[in-house]
Amino acid sequence: MEEVKFIPGTHSKYFKRFLQMMPPQTQKGDTQRLMFAFFAISGLDILNALESCNAQHRQDMIEWIYSLQIQPDDDEESWSRCGFMGSCTFKLQSKESREYQHSHIAMTYTALSSLIILGDDLSRVNRPAVIRGVRALQQPDGSFCAHLGGSENDMRFIFCAAVICYTLKDWSGMDMPLVEDFIKSSLSYEGAIAQGPGLEAHGGSTYCAIAALVLMGRLSIFSDEQLDRLRNWLLMRQVAGFQGRPNKPDDTCYSFWVGATLKLLDRYQFIDKKKNREFILSTQQNLTGGFSKWPDNTSDPLHTYFGLCGLSLMSEPGLKEIDCALNMSVDAAKRLEQIQTWNS
Amino acid sequence: MSETESSGDECVLKCKKPAFVLYRNREEWKDVVPIPQADVHNAVVAINYSEKFKDVYDYLRAVLAKQEKSERVLKLTEDALNLNPANYSVWQYRREILRCLKIDLRRELVFSAKMIHQHPKNYQVWYHRKAIVEMLGDPSAELELTKNDLEYDSKNYHAWQHRQWVVQTFGMFDGEMVLCDTMIEADIRNNSAWNHRFFVMSNTTGFTPQVVAAQVDYTLQQISKAIHNESAWNFLRGILCQTKDGISGNIKVNTFCENLIASNNISPQLLAFLVDINMALAKEDQQAREKVKELCMQLATDVDTIRHNYWNYLAQTV
Repeated sequence: MEEVKFIPGTHSKYFKRFLQMMPPQTQKGDTQRLMFAFFAISGLDILNALESCNAQHRQDMIEWIYSLQIQPDDDEESWSRCGFMGSCTFKLQSKESREYQHSHIAMTYTALSSLIILGDDLSRVNRPAVIRGVRALQQPDGSFCAHLGGSENDMRFIFCAAVICYTLKDWSGMDMPLVEDFIKSSLSYEGAIAQGPGLEAHGGSTYCAIAALVLMGRLSIFSDEQLDRLRNWLLMRQVAGFQGRPNKPDDTCYSFWVGATLKLLDRYQFIDKKKNREFILSTQQNLTGGFSKWPDNTSDPLHTYFGLCGLSLMSEPGLKEIDCALNMSVDAAKRLEQIQTWNS
Repeated sequence: MSETESSGDECVLKCKKPAFVLYRNREEWKDVVPIPQADVHNAVVAINYSEKFKDVYDYLRAVLAKQEKSERVLKLTEDALNLNPANYSVWQYRREILRCLKIDLRRELVFSAKMIHQHPKNYQVWYHRKAIVEMLGDPSAELELTKNDLEYDSKNYHAWQHRQWVVQTFGMFDGEMVLCDTMIEADIRNNSAWNHRFFVMSNTTGFTPQVVAAQVDYTLQQISKAIHNESAWNFLRGILCQTKDGISGNIKVNTFCENLIASNNISPQLLAFLVDINMALAKEDQQAREKVKELCMQLATDVDTIRHNYWNYLAQTV
């Protein structure tokens, strides 16, 4: 079989196009534009291509992100709504529609991460308001909802909450013991972690839980035995690329979800890198750029971003190293450390 | 592909519905001044919205700003959701209107079922369903709904999750083991069905010796049909770990594994299971440690070479 060549330049162009204008089929992502921006911004950073976006363009991106911040008003209750929205679709001025002006936890997370990657110092982030907004989303069982308008609650938003608290160096955004309880009770009989108690163990929720625990400094809630069982489950996910659950097809993004978790648990060295790389590149779309979940599918920003991350974990030349818990380049993570000069 | 997913504006030729009339051209909406989206200058990740999308959402913004709650807005939210079922604010608005107008929620269940059918992997449609069922306090349609969805995609995480919520909230465990049997019969490798089996047992019989014995028999039977099926092996490990003897203490299971080896029916999952059995004994038993090394060598060099680095590591560190 002819070896597929990795074409980083084409992927950079793909992300730059998305940053400008996304095609009509992304209408269904209208409330998540910030998340798409994050994939492109962090993706370009990992591709070492962010510097080639001119300074004005980067500043425009920073301004756009800040335009999505929700600030508190005189009403004490308004603090629960703070953070970032995903888009300006319902950013309205009317008092009657105030209840609809609330943050989305994944958008707050991707906003903060994008700002750091773009070189912003987070000085215009209303830290106490963002933290109060996150805390308002925690449920009695320890999990988090995404927003106040009626939302599901699961492991994804625990990860978002953890990154936000870590970034702003303020863990009052969560009741940590409750989060630990939820994660422990989401460990399935398979030895890996589901979206919630009783549900099926899954590569994505496992990443979210482990990355959150690493950021919280609380990986110790699991015994060595439990961690070894989990490591084994994760390693069993490799088919050629990685699958998210037993007996499912491999899918590019799991090269990151499962791969990054293995890195965090110090077992990534045991994967078959050649087969993993071959699979990821088999989902590369040479004409349009980007990666898709499976070979011969249309590429999308999520699979493009995580395909690149999957390659970066194997030290693919030309790609930056990733901080696996924060899900950004190590460069960006170092910059975060430098700007975290505020007192907790 | 459903009617509403075809490019809406050319719908008239493909479906029986009348052509979509933009809201700005509707007499009955003349009283509303649409509000265009207020993005900043040089916005990022701009979307190239269709004309219909802009029209619908411009009108939605206008009525949302005034919090109008009426049948016409309910219809508008339907159009908005068909264009973007992930817009959680529209779903929130819709629920407010349903409450305010005291709309018959059974009518909403019909709409909800249609949306789930069209967008089975969307989080918001499933959350909305849960919210309506909670408001109604009536789960009678849910088992059929999820079963129908699972017929299209037997591993849909959302469908299984909704079903688990219904069954647990309303105490409807009665037919669930039979469902698992049926789904496993249809696809022995359906990991979601195996997980549901464990979930049902945890919430009903528990893991008494009698129940475990019966489930071990069942699982060994399924393994015999497909010795590479990781789902069955994981389930077996799971139920044994609920017993005081753990993974290594079940004679039937040990004999079964030995028989597979003896008849040369080797799979990576079988050998990995034997590694686990022997690892459990390895602390006190030198023979078990040697067995682990032997099994790991076989896995690394022959049976599961993709993970050879891992098996070699285990052999060295046992």
